[in-house]
Amino acid sequence: MALSAHAGSETLYIQHFGNEEARGLQYYLKQMNGYSALKKAFALKPDQVIDEVKKSNLRGRGGAGFPSGVKWSFIPKTSDKPKYLVCNADESEPGTFKDRDLMRYTPHLLIEGMVIAAYAIGAKHGYIYIRGEYAREAKLLDLALEEARQAGYLGSNIQGSGFQFDLTVHRGAGAYICGEETGLLNSLEGKRGEPRVKPPFPATWGAFGSPTVVNNVETLCAVPFILQRGGEWYAKLGKLPNSGGTRLFCVSGHVKKPGLYELPAGAVTLRELIYDYCGGILDDRKLRAVIPGGSSAPVLTPDEIDVVLDIDPLMKIGSMLGSAGVMVIHDGCDLVRLIYRITKFYEHESCGQCTPCREGCRWMANIFKRILDGKGRLEDLDLLLDIANNINQKTLCALGDAAAGPVKSFVTKFRSDFEARIRG
Amino acid sequence: MPSCTIDGIKVEFRDGDNLVEAAKRAGISVPVFCYHPGLSVVAQCRMCAVDVEKMPKIQTACSTKAVEGMVVSTKTDRVKQARESVMEFLLVNHPLDCPICDKSGECDLQDHSYDHGSAYQRSTEERRTYVDLDMGPVIKKNMNRCIHCTRCIRFGDEVANIREMVAIHRGNNVDITTVDGKALETDYAGNYADICPTGSLTLKDFRFNKRVWYLKKTPTVCEGCSRGCNMEIHEERNQIYRCLPRENMEINRYWLCDEGRFNYKYIHHPDRVLSPQVQEGNSWAKKDWFETMASWKSGFRSKDAVFLVGTDLTQEELQLILHFAKSEMGGVPVFHFGTPNLPAANGDGDSDGLLKRKSKTSNLHGAEKLGIAPFQTLPAGKTQVVVFRGGRAELPRLDRSLKVTGFGVFLQEEIGQFSAVFPGASFAEKTGTVVNFQGKEQTLVRAILPVGESKLLSEALMLWKNQSLASGAA
Repeated sequence: MALSAHAGSETLYIQHFGNEEARGLQYYLKQMNGYSALKKAFALKPDQVIDEVKKSNLRGRGGAGFPSGVKWSFIPKTSDKPKYLVCNADESEPGTFKDRDLMRYTPHLLIEGMVIAAYAIGAKHGYIYIRGEYAREAKLLDLALEEARQAGYLGSNIQGSGFQFDLTVHRGAGAYICGEETGLLNSLEGKRGEPRVKPPFPATWGAFGSPTVVNNVETLCAVPFILQRGGEWYAKLGKLPNSGGTRLFCVSGHVKKPGLYELPAGAVTLRELIYDYCGGILDDRKLRAVIPGGSSAPVLTPDEIDVVLDIDPLMKIGSMLGSAGVMVIHDGCDLVRLIYRITKFYEHESCGQCTPCREGCRWMANIFKRILDGKGRLEDLDLLLDIANNINQKTLCALGDAAAGPVKSFVTKFRSDFEARIRG
Repeated sequence: MPSCTIDGIKVEFRDGDNLVEAAKRAGISVPVFCYHPGLSVVAQCRMCAVDVEKMPKIQTACSTKAVEGMVVSTKTDRVKQARESVMEFLLVNHPLDCPICDKSGECDLQDHSYDHGSAYQRSTEERRTYVDLDMGPVIKKNMNRCIHCTRCIRFGDEVANIREMVAIHRGNNVDITTVDGKALETDYAGNYADICPTGSLTLKDFRFNKRVWYLKKTPTVCEGCSRGCNMEIHEERNQIYRCLPRENMEINRYWLCDEGRFNYKYIHHPDRVLSPQVQEGNSWAKKDWFETMASWKSGFRSKDAVFLVGTDLTQEELQLILHFAKSEMGGVPVFHFGTPNLPAANGDGDSDGLLKRKSKTSNLHGAEKLGIAPFQTLPAGKTQVVVFRGGRAELPRLDRSLKVTGFGVFLQEEIGQFSAVFPGASFAEKTGTVVNFQGKEQTLVRAILPVGESKLLSEALMLWKNQSLASGAA
């Protein structure tokens, strides 16, 4: 694993990754000034905590990039119902592996972030919904939770503040769709992991029909830093006006040094990440394509890699930063097989509720398979684009878009690859 | 009332109406598959796409509430395109077996395909197939035809109070099935077939019996209990093929229980008494009406007689009998019967928390309104009993020594102790009024002519009263 930092700028997490001692409470207290942010938060009113997070320009790290403070402020103040805080640790987007290390090496950071968030929204109980495959991390989290309980950072009357909060680790059973927040909530409630009709949004009707905030692991891990050092400080860490803090980039594929990179939000271009940080393309081959934000992000060509790696710039060129899973592809890769494999993934992971996604993903996968088997037809390509357009934005949740985006971008941007394969 | 605009028409809507319902008020039909007004909204078939002003994406009408001033269009190009694409997606895997499918002719998938789909098919991939399980005696499942609307799952869950239909597996492989593959348990299973928007769940009883477009539909009322669920009788050439629920929000909403749905079976039962019969020794002699009436009448003595009337008769029939007993027979006492151990309407009540009532006949409340007392014991000195019965009321136990005559609908096995039977009309063969447990008067409408030599009660009593006139006419 390569660990690196942007020249001259601070990193929050990555220096602790790889250090097994970091996961203990003592390390967290001594080396990371642990649970001091909590004390600061308790001195503020919940609304003031939310304001601080708003000031920080922290945007959700799960994929959608929604401003976190704003999300918290949607929780109704007057509801009689209990409120829930849920950490989305499903990390199911292919190409993403940042939350795993956060939970593995800095679990107390997550716990402290969750206690602060719970205080801000008035939750007394929270859940960490962790993907089933992260069995080891789930165990580590449970150990850390027990440490926190023993030390009075969880439970009733936390640190004498009168505030009560506890956490439950809930393991998923291996479904991509349970990373979608309402699918996650259904799964948490013991139902089929299927996204819900929105509205109502989780802020009013979330876990067990109660107001709920669902935040990604990395998002919650940023919260202690924001409280410790102020929202403005965090906002300034980012290099773009509305995107604060640092980001963990998960680089995989054909680069010389794949791994996690923590960089200030909006500080580098995709080209810089690939060539300056990751040492360039594996075997010094030619770059062919980059998927910048997990497998659901539309693919970029080598001409497009001068884009600044952040939420808005990537959206502007028709792709997305998503969960910052950067997958680099060199010219030795069969793009037809690659998009078939990606499509197959979404076909397999579609929950099956919405017609366009359920039927369309299988149909597209079948067509790609046919092309790979040498039975493709040139008109298949326009048909594929049509199918993708008919799925895109026409489903309950974003899985449809996630399946359609890659197909549209691969077939459009690399059409000649497909035509060559069809002609044989 | 608040109003919005749909396709340029100003529509007044009720608070809470979604756009499907609001459009309905303006006479605009929005195509739906998963949406059903009696079930929760899941917005997953995506067929009801509409354009709403100021919303960037197309919206599903079922999950969008009408709002004051909202401007909606159901006819924009992208709405048409979205619906066409949903139809295309649904038909990627749906078999083109309409010619052998029972649903054909009343199939939402077929109808919407004509209205919103394309005539051309672009998919050339192999279709998805399933192995089907047996779902018990009521419903036949054909999963290959399923479009995953989940109406059946929600019906069980939300209406029938039983979670027996479920979705298993995921995505394209979802199988809509029963828990652990068990047979359906609910007595409301017929509704699964009614609400299925395609031929995936069909009634075993109706299967391959009749193409639906030949059926004539008569709106009527179920006689199965005192609720009086509204239903339709579907018949062709005087043969009833099925009964379906008819919407009535105050009585049965959209549903019908299986007991009521299949209650009509006795009408065409091979053992139904369809001609006048007299017991001679140990065997039954079938004779014509006039002969039977003449010989039976000679043995009838009104001063020894009691009339027992089923609470499955209509108000008109009961009044006629009351009048006949009093004015023509010199005051024969009249008592009602129908549901064992339920003599009075105040003992009637809910029996399953859904539709069924304790009173197993349609008109207990009406009979009581007419002042008819329940039958308990025979008044002293009475030796003859005339039983008037629609077909549903359970016959009272009568002493073997009595001379019993039946007017109405009977099965051969029920008339062992009778001395004569005059076949009458069932609820489907006559028109009349019944009063349900809420005191609502509802109309039974004749769907078929009386089968065989059965006669309406008014005709039978006319023959009784004036045998010579009838003979003369004959």
